[in-house]
Amino acid sequence: MNLLTLFISALLVNNIILTHFIGMCPFMGVSTKLSSAIGMGIAVIFVIFGASVFSYALYYLVLVPLGLEYMKLITFILLIAAFVQFVEMFIKKTSPQLYKSLGIYLPLITTNCCVLYVALDNITKSYSIWETMVNSIAVPAGFMMVMVIFATIRQRLAGNDIPEAFQGNPIAFIIAAIMAIAFSAFAGLV
Amino acid sequence: MGNVVYAILIAAGLVGLTAWLYKANHDTPVPAGCENLKPDCAGCGLTNCSLRRQEPKGEKENG
Repeated sequence: MNLLTLFISALLVNNIILTHFIGMCPFMGVSTKLSSAIGMGIAVIFVIFGASVFSYALYYLVLVPLGLEYMKLITFILLIAAFVQFVEMFIKKTSPQLYKSLGIYLPLITTNCCVLYVALDNITKSYSIWETMVNSIAVPAGFMMVMVIFATIRQRLAGNDIPEAFQGNPIAFIIAAIMAIAFSAFAGLV
Repeated sequence: MGNVVYAILIAAGLVGLTAWLYKANHDTPVPAGCENLKPDCAGCGLTNCSLRRQEPKGEKENG
């Protein structure tokens, strides 16, 4: 598959939040402020890329030669948990500034299901290493893009006179539905 | 039979690696200036997360 096509497809056409409904928890939870959404988005890109590449290597270099493909789920979960701990420790030691902006979001990503989804998706679709890397950048980039758009809309909504029954999550779900409809227009792009 | 042993070894190795990294991460001192880093819980609606549970009781939860 053409890498650019794969990138656009993962970013817009098959957006992980608006078409697959994966990662809805941080999407609804960490999108009430733009700064939180940006921080979470950057941390998700960082972790998904690293975890996916390591998972890919573990699968093709260890599990496949030993005939242990059925263990991919448990090994990927453990690998993601270990990777997040390593990244947090590495950032603590090397870049206090980065830790200040991302550190608080890293523990939350361990339980973000889209990290596991991307790692498993790369294997299921038999992507090459380059396709894996492009997909592992494009999917979280799409996640961040939608989070930022959504956070911006929610911040603007906060100052508006919304009927009491729609305040909070109900209006957020309605916006998400409208965004999903809008993003479905990308379907014929690639 | 050999594959089962490999499977157990891989699983045990990954569990050990995760536990070791968890401990090493918690033993690593927080950088200067980040000691009082607090989650921006006002901008988050995840009420059951571990970071929010560290917040003092009585603080209003938004979201």
